[in-house]
Amino acid sequence: MTLTPPLAPPAAPTPAPTTATRTGRGNPSLPKPWIGWAFLAPNLLGVLAFTLIPLLSVVGLSFTSWNLVSGLEGIEFVGLQNFLDLAVDPGFWNAALRTVVYAGISVPLTVLGGLGLALLLNGDVPGRAVLRVIFFLPYIVTVVAIGMVWLMILNPSAGLVNQTLAAFGLQDVPGWFASSHWALPALILIAIWSGVGYASMIYLSALSDAPTQLYEAAEVDGAGAWTRFRTITWPSLMPTTVFLLVTLFIGASQGFGLIALITAGGPGDATTVVSYYMYQNGFQFYRFGYAAAIGMATFVGVLALTVLTWRAQRGRTLHD
Amino acid sequence: MTETTLDAPRRSAASSAVPATTDAADRARQRRRRRRTRRWAVGVPLWILAIAFLAPFAWMLSTSFKNELDAYAVPMEWIPSPAELSNYTTVLFGEDSILPAFANSVFVALLRVAGELVTATMAGYAFARFTFKGRDKVFLLYLATAIIPAQLLLVPRFIYFQQLGLYDTLWALILPGMFTVLGTFLMRQFFVAQPSEFAEAARMDGASEWRIFTRIYVPLASPVMAALGILAFVWSWNDYETPLVLISSPEMYTLPLSLTSFTNEQGALSPGLAMAASVVTIVPVLVVFLLLQRRFVQALTHTGIK
Amino acid sequence: MTPRTTLSRRALLGAAAGAGAAAALSGCGSGSTGSPSTTLQVWGGVPAANGPQELVDGFTAATGEQVTYTRFVNDDRGNLKVDTALQGGVDIDVYFTYAAQNMALRAGSGMALDLTDRVRADPELAPYLDTTAPRATMVDGRIVALATAREPHFLLFNESLREQAGIELPRAWTVDEFAATVRELAGPDRYGTYSVPDTARVSLGANYWYAPEGGSNFDDPAFLEWMQLGRSLIDDGAAYPWTEVLARQLEAYQQTPFLQGEFVVWPTAPFNLRYLNNAEDYPHDFLVAAAPTPTTARGDWNGGSFNNFIMINPRSTKIDLAWEFVRYWVTDGAGPMLGGGKIPALDVLPDEDVLAGVLGEEPEQWFDVESFRRTLFTDEPKLMTDTILSAVPEISLVSEQQRNLCWIGEKSPADAVASIDALADAAIRRYERQA
Repeated sequence: MTLTPPLAPPAAPTPAPTTATRTGRGNPSLPKPWIGWAFLAPNLLGVLAFTLIPLLSVVGLSFTSWNLVSGLEGIEFVGLQNFLDLAVDPGFWNAALRTVVYAGISVPLTVLGGLGLALLLNGDVPGRAVLRVIFFLPYIVTVVAIGMVWLMILNPSAGLVNQTLAAFGLQDVPGWFASSHWALPALILIAIWSGVGYASMIYLSALSDAPTQLYEAAEVDGAGAWTRFRTITWPSLMPTTVFLLVTLFIGASQGFGLIALITAGGPGDATTVVSYYMYQNGFQFYRFGYAAAIGMATFVGVLALTVLTWRAQRGRTLHD
Repeated sequence: MTETTLDAPRRSAASSAVPATTDAADRARQRRRRRRTRRWAVGVPLWILAIAFLAPFAWMLSTSFKNELDAYAVPMEWIPSPAELSNYTTVLFGEDSILPAFANSVFVALLRVAGELVTATMAGYAFARFTFKGRDKVFLLYLATAIIPAQLLLVPRFIYFQQLGLYDTLWALILPGMFTVLGTFLMRQFFVAQPSEFAEAARMDGASEWRIFTRIYVPLASPVMAALGILAFVWSWNDYETPLVLISSPEMYTLPLSLTSFTNEQGALSPGLAMAASVVTIVPVLVVFLLLQRRFVQALTHTGIK
Repeated sequence: MTPRTTLSRRALLGAAAGAGAAAALSGCGSGSTGSPSTTLQVWGGVPAANGPQELVDGFTAATGEQVTYTRFVNDDRGNLKVDTALQGGVDIDVYFTYAAQNMALRAGSGMALDLTDRVRADPELAPYLDTTAPRATMVDGRIVALATAREPHFLLFNESLREQAGIELPRAWTVDEFAATVRELAGPDRYGTYSVPDTARVSLGANYWYAPEGGSNFDDPAFLEWMQLGRSLIDDGAAYPWTEVLARQLEAYQQTPFLQGEFVVWPTAPFNLRYLNNAEDYPHDFLVAAAPTPTTARGDWNGGSFNNFIMINPRSTKIDLAWEFVRYWVTDGAGPMLGGGKIPALDVLPDEDVLAGVLGEEPEQWFDVESFRRTLFTDEPKLMTDTILSAVPEISLVSEQQRNLCWIGEKSPADAVASIDALADAAIRRYERQA
């Protein structure tokens, strides 16, 4: 395959990397390693300076006892005490289990829903641009509005959902946010609802890059729609799927805006997921060392999951 | 499903090339009809589903025209009567006008989006298309950075930014937002899926790495960059906790902070005012989304691959 | 290696890296950390328009000194902002503390100036020296914070619903009479009461969570009685169903169902009066009367307390001016705060002025004024201030969680109280181990 149009005639002064490539001409497929670093540098330096340094102090904090108001002088090194406490803290383990349920159900369904929605919205539907905005709305509307609307929809007595269930003759309708059994399922439902627009937008942006020449070849071979989806679309979307899985798992392990707003972790501690437990310990109890330790434990869990996702997808993409 | 999505335009192009026999015209007509039915068979359920996604926005809009008591009345009235405009005049022109914060938010968001697009695209490209020692380790470090709960960063960042002299400046919000890990990750995932033939061919022609990047890969990436632009804008626009901790002067407030003017002393929102402010706040996000989402389709015809 | 050294070395490294950027950008900030301004900086949680701005203007008119009032949202994150700002040396001279958990941290960590000598030197402030029903927060016998408001609890009645039911407005009553009354008030389309007053606090007074011999006090029968009373009134339809309270998040918006006549009796405090005399935002067509907190066989505490503590930042560069302002707030300046339902902690205003202030411009149109005069003043509500603050946020969280589980019918009162007792005990012990 040759490449003609995108290379326009040289314009104004060319930036630094140019000269370097000239020297590397002996083996054109292998640019000098420092060029990679050069491309990486602006972002890497910024991440190091503004995120990584404060972050390392979080790691340090997890080995301390600190209540913030005592100032930096009040930081007391306690070794592994926070982690030992964590290991026998039933509050933490219950929260961890809830997080696994919450993320384990909501994330895959969000990705699937987002994919389906993106495929539909990428096609020929009436009012496509407006529909795209509408499905993305939950991602941008203030959580206050989202919380209020779902509280109304899921009201145990007057809400739309339970009235519909009752109309179908269901006697024992769910109590949703007024029940410790139904509050977490209700939050999972909302998480999916508010995440599919995000997932479908990312998928849409990736779909517009679909390898059209492969579709043509497949069509010539007489492959059906499902075969083409399975053999071309799905593999070409694999990096995007990985991105979504990883970022949504991270989001599910960190996000608590809606939980704080709708249930505040209740009734009882029925919706206290790890992120909210950490929030309580840090922002309500001012146990910053312990909160940092919870954060580190979350980190280990999500990292393990990320690595697993990574392993699972290796070798399944088109060009990797 | 993919059939509708990707092949529709191409096939119609092909059919116009076929000699116009009556038979072929019939078939083309049939195909058009089938396509139209399918268009509505998919469209109608999608629009019904869309209502469920519109509800919070509708609630916001409706509440923004209500007084406090009506806002939480049960059952709620979706069409407020009487509709009051006073909430809007209060949030726009009252003592706690959100307009100065609006200007700050625009300033912060524009710089963050611009910075993020440049640095994340370059870094994502570096991770995906170059091999260098330590690359995978650095990438793992990046992912690890994103995994540590952001909440935990608030207090250390406060201490650190104060030592840098950035506390209570808009730069405390802009700088970290210009260099993000998730943006880099998104761009890397895009570039990884691109065939390397373009770059190899261009190198044969003696093109510099910078030109290969800017002239071939950046145009290819424009739909994903549009998506990243939307995300970066939303992240910046809706960020509450970072400015809460890093900003103290009211004249430096961004929009989410200025909304706190409309809470009572127990911290409960005054619903009418807060929602009027939220409606005003959401408009720029919608504009940005509508402008940028067009890239998702345009890209199909402008990639310049063929 | 201690984390402290790690932190500062990292910070230095980063400072070097970011120095160029920072230097280039320094034009764009208000620089409120570096250079203390000449105006007094006051941080409080009450919206400026609900009184503080008028008070500040009054101070400026009286002294010629400039004051900036910065309002923070009085929730978890808003208070975190205040704490980081205080710790980080942001220019704050005077600030407010509302919740006990924040007071516990700030008072004990050197974030509050010792005011003892200044209070002693001023005869008008003598009530702050009282230690039997303290109006000031003391740490090791030193005064570090002054209450600016008193917050007596009362039970408000929807008068038209009460008269409809043909029931007398109580002037003094017991918890048993309260229960009988709200059962009678309940009807097919309304509940008798929103909830049950904290009868354990009525019985036991200040520090009621803490056993005299140490540890949790939740094994005292007063707590089980309270939990049972709430559950039985809810089960009988006399109190508002707690499932609805959770499903509609009514704890933050109790005024809405009250104004709509969904229940007759509302146990609350003066700060909610401003929803009841505002025809524009909260239209309603009934009078509201006040009754005192019902008493128990074991006690007659009101349940309310002295509150809204004002404190001086020890790092302030204008301590004398700050003190002058604090003094003004608790004495001559207190008037403008009445509109927000803040009754001054000291008796600096005549009762009639206070009454007029909290009830608003047309008291007769909205209130049974005489009942408020009685409840707030004539009958002298017995207020208190908690002095033990161990693990307050942990205990309030767990008691709220268990109360919710019990009142939505998922857990028996005995089990719920036993759970609170166990968890509160553990939290107190952990707190003491760390302190």
